[in-house]
Amino acid sequence: MNTLVEARRPGLRSLLTLIGCEAKMVVRDTAGLVVPLCLPLLIMLTSASSASRTVVDSGRTALELYVLPLVFTMVIAIVGIINMPSFLAYYRRSGILRRLGVTPASPAMVLAAQAIVSILQSLLGIAAALIVAILAFNAGAPANLGTAVGVVALAMAAMYSTGMIVAAVAPTPNSAVAIGLVAFFVLGALGGMFGGRDSLPEPLAEIGGWLPFGAAVEALSSAWAGAAVSAANLIGLGATVVVGAVVASLLFRWE
Amino acid sequence: MNSSEPAIVAENLAKSYRRAQAVVDVSLRVEAGEAVGVVGVNGAGKTTTVEMIAGLRVPDHGRIRVLGLDPRRDRAQLRQVLGVQLQQAYLHHALRVTELVDLYRSFYPDPRSTDELLDMVELTDQRRTRFEKLSGGQQQRLSIALAIAGRPRVVILDELTTGLDPKARRRMWGTVERLSSEGVTVLLVSHFMEEVERLCDRVAMLDAGRVVALDTPAALRTLARTATLDDAFVALTGRQLEEDAA
Repeated sequence: MNTLVEARRPGLRSLLTLIGCEAKMVVRDTAGLVVPLCLPLLIMLTSASSASRTVVDSGRTALELYVLPLVFTMVIAIVGIINMPSFLAYYRRSGILRRLGVTPASPAMVLAAQAIVSILQSLLGIAAALIVAILAFNAGAPANLGTAVGVVALAMAAMYSTGMIVAAVAPTPNSAVAIGLVAFFVLGALGGMFGGRDSLPEPLAEIGGWLPFGAAVEALSSAWAGAAVSAANLIGLGATVVVGAVVASLLFRWE
Repeated sequence: MNSSEPAIVAENLAKSYRRAQAVVDVSLRVEAGEAVGVVGVNGAGKTTTVEMIAGLRVPDHGRIRVLGLDPRRDRAQLRQVLGVQLQQAYLHHALRVTELVDLYRSFYPDPRSTDELLDMVELTDQRRTRFEKLSGGQQQRLSIALAIAGRPRVVILDELTTGLDPKARRRMWGTVERLSSEGVTVLLVSHFMEEVERLCDRVAMLDAGRVVALDTPAALRTLARTATLDDAFVALTGRQLEEDAA
């Protein structure tokens, strides 16, 4: 029996190198970078001018209470539900995960690197939208900044969990994009992306408040207004994290 | 591992995919520092055999030890000392050669330097080139550089030179000879008799999922009463190897 070989996993230096490589892959995939960063920004710009002059409640404008929460959620959802699963599906389809499987790198390390790069990508998109909103349209910071940060973190976890389900069931990179887009638009439509949940039939509006997109928009809006975040929103986001993790762990295939 | 123990032991391996029996009964012992070639026509079970040895596939039946380690149970330990070049190069397409080499080097505690690896596979001039822009032969050479980045004690090379031009093929032979001179155990899957005759101490001929013969090239020629290893393969399996490769 061999006792001379030490079971050693690659350390932090290796993870950082992998994160650097994943980030370069994202940057070099122009469409993958431009869509999540620029599309929400464009949507904000088209409505920010009038929304920034419409005071809704307690001196807060529609830009702060509706548009920015929606834009933040869109950035997180595009990266988590569309981009990240398509990368994982491509890695699986092209055999990259299989190639890494014969090195000391663990599958968990690849997932961690992907998640970190996706988080950085989302934060970049959120920061870009926030900076433009503050500098060009005099938007103010959320009244409950800590709550807003917490909601963003929970929304990221929920969207990535949803994305992991997409990555688990999609057999090819193209199907990952297709499934991701359908999931994004369904969640977005029920979450108020096309004109607010108030315009939806009552049962759909109710369901939308529990699903991750609508829950994230509403919770961020509450944080901006300084109001308490609804328990339904938090439960919806938390439940999505749990369900996504369980389903993905059961269905995800490395090859 | 005791120095007198074989580097690779595969006993009575069997593997089937749905109704197709890819490997029926393969047994193989490779001594430490030895280079053993595995030859056979397409579908003979070569790749399935080495992928089971590498821990990528679970055998339906049989026992495998590499440096005394079980490829599935002792995966973390084995990955430290086993280098694998897969039949096709599966790598991040948009990364540059040095980025890929540095990534794979980072997985190991004492890797070869980037310059040494690129020099060994003669990709120094392509160090800034993206993987997707490399020719098929260059991609293959990069894949080999990554397989040996961690100074493995055992290296599995699946179709080392398939798709390479004769000049590139001879360069890769030099790399394998260098590994052998460093005491690395080599398991080489190949379609080319000239290649295994030059690089390998012993050759395993596979046919229909079984080892038909396993011995030194000279002994195989004697066994088959032929002048060349090509003819010996035909005599022992009834099949043409090079035609199949083409």
